[in-house]
Amino acid sequence: MVTLTINGKLVRAREGEMLLDAIRREGIEIPATCQHEAVEPYGACRLCTVEITKADWGGWKNHVTSCLYPVQEGLIVSTHSEDVIRIRKTILDLFLARCPNAELIQNMAAEYGITRTSYEEVPDGNDCILCGLCTRVCDKMGFQAISTVGRGHGKEVAPPLGEAPPDCVGCLACAQICPTNYIKFTDDGTTRTIWGREFELVKCETTGQPTITKEFAAYLVKHRNIPEDYFTRCDSAHREELAKTMGRITHWGRQEEA
Amino acid sequence: MCITSSRQLKQVRKEFLDGDARFEKKVMICCGTGCLANGAQEIVDEFDSILRKKRIKGFTIEAVRSTGCHGFCEQGPLVIIEPRGTFYTKVKVKDVADIIEKSIRSDEVIDKHLYTDPATKQKIERYPDVAFFSHQQRIALRNLGKIAPHNIKDYIANGGYQSLAKVLTTMTPDDVITEVSKSGLRGRGGGGFSAGRKWRSCADVESDTHYVICNGDEGDPGAFMDRSIMEGDPHSVLEGLAIAAYAVGAKEGFVYVRDEYPLAVVHMQKAIEDCRKEGLLGENIFETNFCFDVHIARGAGAFVCGESSALMKSVAGEVGEPRAKYVRSVVKGLHDQPTVLNNVETFANIPIIFEKGADWYAGIGTKKSTGTKVFSLVGKVRNTGLIEVPMGITLRQIIFDIGGGIIDDRPFKAVQTGGPSGGCLPESKLDLPVDFDSLTENGSMMGSGGMIVMDDRTCMVDVAKYFTDFLVKESCGKCVPCREGLYQLHKLLVKISEGRGEESDIDRMEQLSEVIVNASLCGLGQSGPNPLLSTLKYFRDEYTAHIRDKRCPAGVCRELITYNITDECTGCMACISACAYHAITGQKKKVHVIDQEKCTKCGACVAACRFNTIDVR
Amino acid sequence: MNYRFVVKPELCIGCRTCELACSFAHSVNGKPGRSRIYPLGTGHKELWVPVVCLQCEDPACARSCLVDAITRNPETGAMDLDAERCVRCMACVAACPFGCSLHDANHQMVVKCDLCGGDPVCAHFCPTKALVLEPIVQQKKKKSA
Ligand SMILES: Cc1cc2nc3c(=O)[nH]c(=O)nc-3n(C[C@H](O)[C@H](O)[C@H](O)COP(=O)(O)O)c2cc1C
Ligand code: SF4
Ligand code: SF4
Ligand code: FES
Repeated sequence: MVTLTINGKLVRAREGEMLLDAIRREGIEIPATCQHEAVEPYGACRLCTVEITKADWGGWKNHVTSCLYPVQEGLIVSTHSEDVIRIRKTILDLFLARCPNAELIQNMAAEYGITRTSYEEVPDGNDCILCGLCTRVCDKMGFQAISTVGRGHGKEVAPPLGEAPPDCVGCLACAQICPTNYIKFTDDGTTRTIWGREFELVKCETTGQPTITKEFAAYLVKHRNIPEDYFTRCDSAHREELAKTMGRITHWGRQEEA
Repeated sequence: MCITSSRQLKQVRKEFLDGDARFEKKVMICCGTGCLANGAQEIVDEFDSILRKKRIKGFTIEAVRSTGCHGFCEQGPLVIIEPRGTFYTKVKVKDVADIIEKSIRSDEVIDKHLYTDPATKQKIERYPDVAFFSHQQRIALRNLGKIAPHNIKDYIANGGYQSLAKVLTTMTPDDVITEVSKSGLRGRGGGGFSAGRKWRSCADVESDTHYVICNGDEGDPGAFMDRSIMEGDPHSVLEGLAIAAYAVGAKEGFVYVRDEYPLAVVHMQKAIEDCRKEGLLGENIFETNFCFDVHIARGAGAFVCGESSALMKSVAGEVGEPRAKYVRSVVKGLHDQPTVLNNVETFANIPIIFEKGADWYAGIGTKKSTGTKVFSLVGKVRNTGLIEVPMGITLRQIIFDIGGGIIDDRPFKAVQTGGPSGGCLPESKLDLPVDFDSLTENGSMMGSGGMIVMDDRTCMVDVAKYFTDFLVKESCGKCVPCREGLYQLHKLLVKISEGRGEESDIDRMEQLSEVIVNASLCGLGQSGPNPLLSTLKYFRDEYTAHIRDKRCPAGVCRELITYNITDECTGCMACISACAYHAITGQKKKVHVIDQEKCTKCGACVAACRFNTIDVR
Repeated sequence: MNYRFVVKPELCIGCRTCELACSFAHSVNGKPGRSRIYPLGTGHKELWVPVVCLQCEDPACARSCLVDAITRNPETGAMDLDAERCVRCMACVAACPFGCSLHDANHQMVVKCDLCGGDPVCAHFCPTKALVLEPIVQQKKKKSA
């Protein structure tokens, strides 16, 4: 355990834990758009920037992103110093110029008193904040179907060569994790489309309810050692089946007693 | 054959020099990329084909050496005849027969191939007397232009691999690091971090695996110092790398070469293979326990891949994006193992430090910035090219003594150092000693050694705009302050250069810059506003002129200038036919007029006018 | 002392009180969550089974989770689903052979029984004690103190 000061309060944190976790545990809210528990910290949005110093730093201060800065003994952290607020406001202002319609950004900016960007709006702006969560979760899950392409201001998220990604299994994790709902997909209960690819859904043999895509199920069978027949029913049919099985056992027991 | 001792190295050296003693003369033909582009290979081929037909006493094709870059590319192809050092510039294939006849069979000097000093208009015969070379001190470039880079024996004949032999057989890793620290060598790739300290931190990390990497990404536009070293003297880089590997306990090393440098890859690869053959790479080098091998990693062609964490990701086959370095790469670098990354030039300095001693090296340059630095001197100076000078030399000496002053004797305006995220220094800073700290203190930086000289016809707003645009495109796009911030900074600069600027824009740019510097993830973003901030610092009035007076004092920003024909016009009509937009009207021998409505400010008329009567302001 | 959550179907009367209790116990922002427990008919008259996660030894849910959001809680023994980490790919919902990883559509979350952190609320509310928390009696050999 280490002891540090956050906004004047002495707090204890686990060694190796990130500053952001300790800050949030204190109930302090700071924006952090590229952070998600499922993936490694990344440090792209810089919104979680905080000011740090130590008693023996001779007044020297530093700005670090709390999502990937490990807690340290004796660290003195301010989450809302003047400099930090200025950084956060500028970043939100810049974000708004690129993603004026992204609700997430609008709300965060509003909290910092910004309703419109003070910069020139980016002509081809969209809702993607380039947090990289989608590509990172896709990597983490082992598919690596999509990635960021290009660099600089023209960077974007796309499947390789801009074509339907061969490694995609249609799990929708990217669309689910996207903080601005930028990744579009359709699902009519029979087929699912995402990234320009169509996937057939597995249907429950009993209820006809769709579950996950055939490709995703096949992946789990192959790489995660899940028996194939687990996927033949939906969750509610599984429960019914369990109840019936248990009923059979119990009923059978009662008859014996009688 | 395997070389296993210092004695054997000496033997190789002796054999090579004995072989050379057969020749009365030797010819060095520069085959650096610049000279190759101008036909150097054809010249080598011509020597070959003539010498096949003709026998000359004390001279064969073996005495013709294709060397690495001499640095004076604009005068290429260069041919030097040793032992006199006769220096022929801009040699063509058809000149070869003449050179063989006159300068090799006899001792005649062919005047028309000699270099003319632009200042004195005098012909200069020997290359050490050429001002461009005479003010230099070549340490990292010591072998460039002297040896054939693809011949390991030539390198050994010049003392090569003796330092490695000495290090491996007589010194402990600890001694090696102490020696490097004592030399005061600081990294030449940009940051200027002490090489000894870096090695020490890496060596101190307990791990089974350590790596050493040579950074040959060199993404700065116009820079070619690392390329020239890798092409012209690959073995000194390898020797430096091997010494570093021994010091930190690495068994594997990488040379990361920018993808645009195919010749560097070829020469580096050949050097590595030759070393393996001679036993200078591989198992039990010099019959010690030291085992080390080197691989080439090809760059991804992005400026940001030169950044240490991005480079290591790229070497590992991932997307070359920087990561936050709250844990430094000497502790957790390539494949999360402790890693030393140094620049090409840094490594090229290592062997000579062990040859001549750390004290000797520390005696060159200034106290805090020891040794020399290679610069690529370009822009509006008479002599452009690759130069190496001791630290502490002034900008004036570089620009006026080596560079020969400004072209057409126009006034000097600024010099940009440090690559795209460096800064511009004005005339008042010409006597600034060039070293890591003084450049940084004055708002610029050493960077990897780009140096662009600008004259009075350069607009500083335009310069800031150009470099900011470069950085917007080269930013990896990962973090917001850099990706969006630099983009907006560039937009504001465009606005100002187009005459739409407002007084408040300067403040806005300064505030935004501060956030970009403080909040960006890697060095690119953190230093990205430098071009803007340094020009604002020294040329603020130029910004005000653009904003308040809607005027570009240097006559560069299109939206703010007009072309007018003055009364001195002779009426030659040359400009009329040069203008593709039919904006110029007039009769023979009468003053012509430019129709401002039609003029697109392309400048074709200025180029066509022989009497300098078109006024741009 | 260690406890074990025991389900006794023969005592279940299908009143669905547990379902209600669970749903309220797992409210998010004041809105009841989806119940993790389902008293279901067995096809035999008056025989009900409260279907709830069995906290399997080698659970399919955890195996199928590619972001490691489902892990064993060493204190409760339950397989806990970390909502912060879950990316809602629905792999576990599809993979659980007992249908006990669930999609809570109201809250857009994937949920499963977490034994309420060691003290299952359903057990408190079950009128017939079909759901109980029983101490595990260690079958140690007697040794004189
Ligand atoms: C955006 C960026 C680009 C860089 N490009 C290069 C490069 O092309 N070559 C280089 O040697 N160092 C480059 N660096 C510096 C490296 O990160 C690193 O500091 C250097 O290679 C270390 O070697 P040194 O200590 O020998 O200088 C770059 C840094 C940044 C931030
Ligand atoms: S698409 Fe969504 S998740 Fe992916 S980078 Fe953009 S905002 Fe982030
Ligand atoms: S500062 Fe620029 S180059 Fe560096 S990580 Fe951020 S976006 Fe990429
Ligand atoms: S959450 Fe820390 S940088 Fe985005």
